[in-house]
Amino acid sequence: MPANPQGQVAVPDHKRWGADRGPVLKLGKYLAIAKINLHQAIVYRSNVLGGLLFYALFIFVFFSLWRAIYHGGEVQGYSLRQVVWYLCITELLVFGCRTPVFTQMNEDIKTGALAYQLIRPCHYVAYQFAGAVGRMVFNLVCFGILAVVLGMVMVGPLPDYALTKLPLGILSACLGLVINFFLLMCLGLTAFRLEENGAFYLVYQKLVFMLGMFIPLEFLPGWLQRIARWLPFPYVAWAPARLLVAFSWPLFWQILPLQVFWAAIAIGLSLLLYRQGMRGLQANGG
Amino acid sequence: MSNGHKLHSIFTLIGLYFRVNLASAMEYRSAFMLQVFGMVLSNGSFVFFWWVAFSQIGARIGGYDFTDVMFIWAVTSSAFGTANILFANMNHISRLIISGELDTFLLQPKSVLTSVLCARTSLSAWGDLLYGFLLIALTQGADGRAWLMFFCGLVIGALLMTAVAVTAHTLTFYVGDASTLAGMSVEFIVNFCIYPKGIYAGWVQVLMATLIPATFMVHLPLQLARQFDLLLFAGLLAASAAYCSLAGFFFYRGLRRYESGNLIVTRL
Repeated sequence: MPANPQGQVAVPDHKRWGADRGPVLKLGKYLAIAKINLHQAIVYRSNVLGGLLFYALFIFVFFSLWRAIYHGGEVQGYSLRQVVWYLCITELLVFGCRTPVFTQMNEDIKTGALAYQLIRPCHYVAYQFAGAVGRMVFNLVCFGILAVVLGMVMVGPLPDYALTKLPLGILSACLGLVINFFLLMCLGLTAFRLEENGAFYLVYQKLVFMLGMFIPLEFLPGWLQRIARWLPFPYVAWAPARLLVAFSWPLFWQILPLQVFWAAIAIGLSLLLYRQGMRGLQANGG
Repeated sequence: MSNGHKLHSIFTLIGLYFRVNLASAMEYRSAFMLQVFGMVLSNGSFVFFWWVAFSQIGARIGGYDFTDVMFIWAVTSSAFGTANILFANMNHISRLIISGELDTFLLQPKSVLTSVLCARTSLSAWGDLLYGFLLIALTQGADGRAWLMFFCGLVIGALLMTAVAVTAHTLTFYVGDASTLAGMSVEFIVNFCIYPKGIYAGWVQVLMATLIPATFMVHLPLQLARQFDLLLFAGLLAASAAYCSLAGFFFYRGLRRYESGNLIVTRL
C-alpha cells in the first residue's frame, strides 16, 4: 500500500468522490456488489430462520400486551389494529432489516482489516452500503411476508386502507433504513478515534427503541414529543410506520423533507468521519 | 458420599470458580465497568417504556401495576445476571459437546455439570445483577417482604434459567446441534418473565407454568411478595427443585451418549 512520508495511507483516485469514471459505470459496480450480497443471503437463507422466530415472538408478546392495554376505542389516535400493524412495521425495519455495519466497521478499523478493503476499486463507505442493501432486500422480503401474515392473523386488515398510498409509505421506510444505516456507520467510524465506542451504540439503539420502535411518538408526553421531533431517531421507525398505518398528505409533507434532511446529514457526516479517519490511518504490512 | 457432603462440594466448587472468574474479569477493569454501565443503561430504557405505557393507560395492565412490573423486571434481570455470572458456560454446552471439548471436564474429579457450567463468566451480567437491585431499591423501598421474595426469586430464577438452558443444550446429545433452540429457550423465558402474566391467553399461561417456567421464576415470587402464603412458597421451592433435578438427570443421561473427540485442549 503506498504511503506518504508521514506514514499515512495515500487515498487512491478511485476513493475520491466524483473521480474519473462516469456515474452509470459507478452505479453498475455498486449494483453488482448489492447483487452478490443478495445472492449470498439467499444461499445462506437458513440464517434468517432464527430471526423470523424471534420476530414472531416479539410481535406475539407486544400483541398480547397492547390487547391488554386497549379496553376498546383509541389511544392517542391509534386503534388496537393500527398499533399492532405499527409494531409489525417498526420491528420489520429495525429488527428484521438490522445491519451489522457498526460491528463490521469496528472490526475492520480495530483489526486493520480496513487496509484490505481499501484495495478494492470502490469507495469503502459506498461498498458497505451496497452490500447492506443487498442483504436488506432479502430480509425485507422474508420479514415483510411474515409481518403481513402476523398482522392479518392477529388483527386483520386495516379498515379503509388506501393501497395507492403504499408506495409513499415504502419510500419513507427506505429513507428510514438509509438514516439508520448511515447513523450506525458514523458510530462505527468513531473507532478511528476511540478504542471503546460500544456505549454509543447502546445509547443509539435505545433511543431508536424508545422514540418510535416500541411506542408511537404520539404516546410520549408533549414536551418529549417536541424534543424528539427535532432528533433523527424517530425518522428511522416512527415516521414510516405512522405513514403506513395512517397516511395523510399533511403528515407526509411534514415527514418526508425531514427524513431527506436527516439522511443527507447522516451520509455527509459518515463521509466526513471516513475522510478524517483515513487521514490518520496507518497500515503496517500484514 | 452423603447428599450433604455432595452439596457442600458443589457449592465449594462454584465458589472457587467464581473467585477465579472474578479475578480474571478484574484484570480488564475499564472494559468491565463499561459493560456493566452499558447493561444498566440498556435495561433502564425499559423503565421509560413502562412509565409511558402506564401513564397512557392508567393503573393496571394485565392485573399488574407499575411497581409490580418493576418487581418482575428486577427479579428477571438479577436472576439472569446471577445465572450468567456463575454459570455463563450454560450458553456453550452444545458447542462443547459437538467439538468434543467435554473430555476435559470428564477428567476432573468433581461434578461434571458444575464444572462445565462454572467454567465461564459474563462481564455484562454484573450490570443485569446490579440493575435488579437498583430497581428494587427505587420501586419497593423498605418493603421487607418484597426484598425477601426478590432474593428468593433471584436464586430460583437463576437456577431455573440455567436448568432450562441445560435441558435444551442436552438435546444436542440426541439430535445434533441444538444451540439455536437453546438460545431461543432462554430468550423465550426472559420475554415471558418481563411482562404481566395476565396479558397472555390461558394456553400461554399453561406453557409458562410447565415448559417455560416463567411463572415460578417471577410471577409466583411477586404473588408471595404481595400476599405471603407458606404453602404456596413450599410449592414454589419444591417445583423449582424438581425442575433443576430433572435438568441434571437429563444431562447425565445424555452424557452417556457422548463420544470423545480425542481432542487435545488446554485450559488456562
